[in-house]
Amino acid sequence: MWTLAGVVVLHVTSIVLLLLAAVQNAWWVTDTVSTDLWGRWEWKDSNWNYTSVINPEDLQAVQATSVLACVFAVLSLFVFVAQLFTLPKGQRFTFTGILQLIACLCVMIAASVYTAKPPPSSQEEGRYGHSYVLAWISFVLTFILAVTYLILRKKSE
Amino acid sequence: MGRAGPLRGVWLGINRRTVGFLLLSPVRSPLSRRPPLLRSPLAFLSPPSTRSSAGLFPDRLRPLGAPQKPDTMLTFLALASVVLLGIVPEQTQAIVIYTGWERHALLGSDVRLSCSFFSWRWTSEDVTFSWTYRPDGSRDSISIFHYTGGMAYVDNKGPFRDRVEFVGNPGRRDGSILIKNLDYADNGTFTCDAKNPPDIVGRPSSVRLLVFEKVPIQAGVITGAIIGVVLGLLVLIVVIYYLMRFLVARRVFSLSVSKHGKKKKEGSQQRQGPAPPADPSKVKAASSEKKKQESRKDKK
Repeated sequence: MWTLAGVVVLHVTSIVLLLLAAVQNAWWVTDTVSTDLWGRWEWKDSNWNYTSVINPEDLQAVQATSVLACVFAVLSLFVFVAQLFTLPKGQRFTFTGILQLIACLCVMIAASVYTAKPPPSSQEEGRYGHSYVLAWISFVLTFILAVTYLILRKKSE
Repeated sequence: MGRAGPLRGVWLGINRRTVGFLLLSPVRSPLSRRPPLLRSPLAFLSPPSTRSSAGLFPDRLRPLGAPQKPDTMLTFLALASVVLLGIVPEQTQAIVIYTGWERHALLGSDVRLSCSFFSWRWTSEDVTFSWTYRPDGSRDSISIFHYTGGMAYVDNKGPFRDRVEFVGNPGRRDGSILIKNLDYADNGTFTCDAKNPPDIVGRPSSVRLLVFEKVPIQAGVITGAIIGVVLGLLVLIVVIYYLMRFLVARRVFSLSVSKHGKKKKEGSQQRQGPAPPADPSKVKAASSEKKKQESRKDKK
């Protein structure tokens, strides 16, 4: 019972982190600019201004894979709940684990492509923002969860 | 032939809201000799447009769906129309103009800037279109095109001389212009203003022109493509997986049924005469097949 609760809490945490990484425009921050993946926030005259970000192909690939990672993480939560009720005793949660593994793969692709080919808007002096860090953290979390699901067996009483 | 006597019918109540009345009336059709075809009641409540009248419905069985109280529907419709007509007069005097938001074009090519409007009045003969241009970074705008009184007047002095052409259709509320042979100096905002007397109150709409050497990929095209392909593949894989499982189960089932049938036949033959030696092995094979199928069902 506690394993179940723990696994569900961990899964929801990973979904939240993935969403934060994908939605918040903070992959690259400087003192006045917070940018990527979807837009660019600039601090000008004590106001945050939102402009669009230049969209090279690599940035679009990062956008796509981060969105896909969120989608697959949420899907795997639903499949987990469904499998809780329909799986026969003693079986592994393979479908859930596979979906979670795909989500982990997607977020890894997103973060790697962003690291390898940073978009031109992040060539200025700055550092990686919290969305980028969260992307890597959620990669680790989803990987652990995927392995857990592939090993976990339904209790056979 | 007309109606002979009172209408006879059968009430089909599925729930309180939808009640179907099955109309049975004498019709001279060759099928009238046959007894009425009674399908499941649910079949008659499906919308008649999805069923062809040929096979399922003989002529004299026709579904008639009627709401419980037609009066409330009519009053509701009347009220709604009154309310809408009350709201509409306030908006009849505003004209709404539509242009694009941004246009990307290649250096040296032609670009069509479209402009159309919506107005509650009919398109009058005095409809006017006018286009003005404001370069990037400048605050003044100059007029480059004007259509009035059935005549189109293009720019013949300014930066767009001999490059503007009217390709719209005022009768169809289209006031589009074509700008040829673009240059980097043409980057800017084009504003279209249309007037349809007496409907003259409206806001002009602007379209931004961007001239590129090489047109960049629109934001989001690759994103959408990747997401769509991956999700489509996922759906495809799931469908194929369930299809394969279904097909395999069906094949196993048909195999076991055929073996079962053979076993029965052999059994009856056995009763009649001495059993050939090959029989027990066949029976064993059929039973093992059955056992395998049951164990597979268990595993599921």
